[in-house]
Amino acid sequence: MAAITQYSAPGSTAGRLALRRWTVIPATYLAAIVAVGLTVVPLLFVVVDGFRTNGDINSSPAGLPHPWVGGNYTAILKSASFWEFLGNSALIATVATTMTLVLGSMAALALSQYDFRGREFFYTVFVSGLLFPIGVGALPLYLLLQRLGLLDNQFGVALPEAAFALPITMIILRPFLRAIPGELQDAALVDGATRFRYFLQILIPLAKPALITVGLLAFVTSWNQYLLPLLVLQTSSHFTLPLGTYTFQTQYSQNDAGIMAFTAMAMLPALAVFMFAQRYLVAGAAGAVKG
Amino acid sequence: MSRSTAIEAGLGPAAAEQSAAAGPLRARRWRSPRLRKKTELTILLAPGLILFVGFVFVPIVIAAYYSFYNWSGYGPLNDFIGFRNYSYAFKDPAFIQAIEHTLDLTVASVVIQGPLAIGIALLLNRKFFGRGFLRTVVFAPYVLPPAVTGVMWSLILQPGGFADQVLKAFGLGGLVQLWLANVHIVLFTVFVVLTWQYLGFGIVLLLAGLQNIPNELKQAAAIDGAGPWQVTRRITLPLLAPTIRIWGFITVIGSLQIFDVVWILTQGGPANASGTISTYMVLEGVDSTDFGFASAIAVILFAFCFVFALIYQRFALRRDTQGALTRAVG
Amino acid sequence: MRSSRALAAVALAVTTATAAAACSSGSSSSTPSAATGGGASSSSSSGTTAKVTLTWWNNATNQPLLGVYQAAIKGFEAAHPNITITNVPIQNELLQDTKIPLALEGSNPPNIYQQWGGGVLGQQVTSGKVDNITADVSSWIGTISGASGWQANGQQYGVPVDLHVVGFWYRKDIFKKVGITVPTTLAQLESDDAKLRAAGYAPIAVGSKDRWPDAFWWEYFALRDCPQSTVTAAIKSESFGASCFGTASTDLAAFLKTNPFQTGFLGTSSQQGAGSSAGMVASGKAAMELQGDWDPSVMQGVSTNKNLSSELGWFPFPQTPGSAGSQTAVLGGGDGYSCTGSQQQAQACAEFLEYLDSPSVQAQIVGPGASGEPVLTSESSAITLPATQTAAAYFKTASYEELYFDTALPTKPGQNLDTAIADYFSSPSSSTAAAIANSPSTP
Repeated sequence: MAAITQYSAPGSTAGRLALRRWTVIPATYLAAIVAVGLTVVPLLFVVVDGFRTNGDINSSPAGLPHPWVGGNYTAILKSASFWEFLGNSALIATVATTMTLVLGSMAALALSQYDFRGREFFYTVFVSGLLFPIGVGALPLYLLLQRLGLLDNQFGVALPEAAFALPITMIILRPFLRAIPGELQDAALVDGATRFRYFLQILIPLAKPALITVGLLAFVTSWNQYLLPLLVLQTSSHFTLPLGTYTFQTQYSQNDAGIMAFTAMAMLPALAVFMFAQRYLVAGAAGAVKG
Repeated sequence: MSRSTAIEAGLGPAAAEQSAAAGPLRARRWRSPRLRKKTELTILLAPGLILFVGFVFVPIVIAAYYSFYNWSGYGPLNDFIGFRNYSYAFKDPAFIQAIEHTLDLTVASVVIQGPLAIGIALLLNRKFFGRGFLRTVVFAPYVLPPAVTGVMWSLILQPGGFADQVLKAFGLGGLVQLWLANVHIVLFTVFVVLTWQYLGFGIVLLLAGLQNIPNELKQAAAIDGAGPWQVTRRITLPLLAPTIRIWGFITVIGSLQIFDVVWILTQGGPANASGTISTYMVLEGVDSTDFGFASAIAVILFAFCFVFALIYQRFALRRDTQGALTRAVG
Repeated sequence: MRSSRALAAVALAVTTATAAAACSSGSSSSTPSAATGGGASSSSSSGTTAKVTLTWWNNATNQPLLGVYQAAIKGFEAAHPNITITNVPIQNELLQDTKIPLALEGSNPPNIYQQWGGGVLGQQVTSGKVDNITADVSSWIGTISGASGWQANGQQYGVPVDLHVVGFWYRKDIFKKVGITVPTTLAQLESDDAKLRAAGYAPIAVGSKDRWPDAFWWEYFALRDCPQSTVTAAIKSESFGASCFGTASTDLAAFLKTNPFQTGFLGTSSQQGAGSSAGMVASGKAAMELQGDWDPSVMQGVSTNKNLSSELGWFPFPQTPGSAGSQTAVLGGGDGYSCTGSQQQAQACAEFLEYLDSPSVQAQIVGPGASGEPVLTSESSAITLPATQTAAAYFKTASYEELYFDTALPTKPGQNLDTAIADYFSSPSSSTAAAIANSPSTP
């Protein structure tokens, strides 16, 4: 088993190996299964409930679909607005994530690779943005966006989203960038590279795990953001997926089955992005340092 | 240069500095290194700073300004009341309760989710079949919008709902409670749901941190006779500590501000038994069209977070900045 | 160092610029501007008829009311070719809590928007954006009922389009099965509850999580225990200190002691999804619910029960003989709309509201639209659901109608009242009762 060979020290007794094989390893896998079960079952709940009718959910909240109704899902797939929402969400999330990554890494570079007076002040300014609940800033933000003519505009959503993602980006990126030893830069400069080239070609690739994490966070946050799109977007053809969820809620009631189906579909792209990106959350960094 | 540098880098930038005590070599190509540096700095820092100040900082400052007014959100700001919003908040038992609950949730998040996340991250760092899939599964709850999490768990937790049925199926029927209606239990229920939602985030963050730990270190230790637990305890965890500290910071701040899931699950009820500072703010401020009051609560929450951030920065995160400081190119 | 100072200067400049921009934009007037984003409205005179465009924000996001409104727009535009109306349905809570307050603070609020009258409308009027349409509607406002709820300072700032009344919605089939009849007094209700519980049903469902369903209970006890003048005065002065309100609290506590509600009622929502109180009545787990006449619509959405419309019945809040208040007062409200924008837009808006209050559209709203009772009482016969017809008929005979307190009061006192009552439901005691009495006046 991989877990054992990685650490098997020469000369360990058969007894010790056997103990590990029969208790510790199964225990960890059991724990993993329980953890996965607890995680997955509620999610399956969402997916499966999308195949039910509301009356069905009402009469037996925990049961399996009876009958299995594909209508919710097909209605969503067929509705033009779902794809519109999807497109808008994708556009906004991509723009916001890109801006976050670019501007965030630039700022993190500035605050980690340079020593200047006032550096900690600027870092604190960024971090302080995290400490204030966004909902209360909604009114001034709305007025500002109105003033800038950014209402009902996807950029009016993406720009503030990128701005709000910067604090967490700084918190994660700066320590990562700092941990990379300074000799690398010295070596690069000696070899004739400019500082910027060092940043682009050596430092940033080394920080890939952190960048992936930051990008994922920014993407998911933007994907699920509903307050900002609610404030900014007026015409329904500009709406994002979370706003679309509300079309299943009327003045008086809530189409649970519809919401579940819609949510299940809305989650897929974000999960797909994650599945793709997590591949890069590997120790690609170690190689570079070895030289 | 390779392996020893790697080990030094892993074990502390200060050690690395010693090895470079010969002094940094400076390329002599630039005319005025200081001017060059300032320009670079401005190019790098300004765009993000401007975006942030414009869209985040300024609205926050304006919102804080509202807190000194008795203002419904309609019409002009013309009823200046100084700190009255603040004094009223602290005299309201519901607010004090909200603070207590928020602190409870925060401490529990760190103390319980921390070890869980670390353990699972360590597990998921090993190579095994289906690792990528498992990572996605573990992260998936975080991808779910908090509002939908609330709706889903409301369904699961209703009397006689899925949770109760599962417990009965395992013969644990005696544990069944009114998860969301019992004022003594509801906060605990909320915590479980929050853990479900946010654990994945911690795991992914810690996974990223684990990537920075070179495998050679662990293999070297193993060759020297260390068992896997010792490797974890003496090498992996200490090297993971900076990431753990970042996770702690983000978790505390996030817990102090927690809103969406709690709101959908319980609206802070019943009878304020699960109210947090943010739900109090929305209930008493936003939903009551008392924007001035809402802003005051937000400022109080900000103050909590800020004080924590300062203390944390000073004691916990300082160690991460010390060594790096000396290595930053001046 | 100079570099950081330069940066600080940049930051400061940006700060002051954006602060100036954001601060000053809050004081714009309500004159129309060129279309920027939503709520677009423009008017230009071109010869004899001025073209007017209006946006309409309402919460009819789904059928059947959505279709009724769309047809109404078509009919109106046909009769008024110079007026164009854009329908913007928005989910209810988002509309009320977020979109409307923001829009009224910005420079381009929607021309026709939904609100529920009372003190909340009064607060919105202070924004200066809501048009005074007294003159525009004076010719026909007398023909509809309930218009007084949409006044502020004696002036008409909005118009109701349908009315609602709160009463008991019950399952006739369950009552028959258990062998009980519709209660007319509180004592009878309590004994009916006992029989229902013995038969395994939750006698009454309540969505206590949302707080306002609890408020219906307390407010009805208040209507029974307090004379009308006391109630009106209390709402106006925003204080429930009069002793009869204490009696209402005590009566409510006594009623709560009879264990009338479903298990875990403190955590049940009233309308959201399968486990709500409406859902419980729809699925037959509970026998009745004290709710507004929107309840049947809610139940339709969460039930596969096809026979619901014939199984549902209605009866008014039971009487409490010997108490000081009116035995036939009802709690209720309605949906209405207000106008913003220029003089021309306000006029066009008022004309549209007149159209919505005309007989044919009223019949549509309460018939297929299933939205409560009409403001034009002549159209009550258009109501299709038998239970709602019962409610409408009783409505006509009620001694007076009181707007639900949390709408009659301005928002904050109203919300405080709801919260205090919900706390009381959780633990009835003298201190929580006192909290109710004081609640509206807490700043």
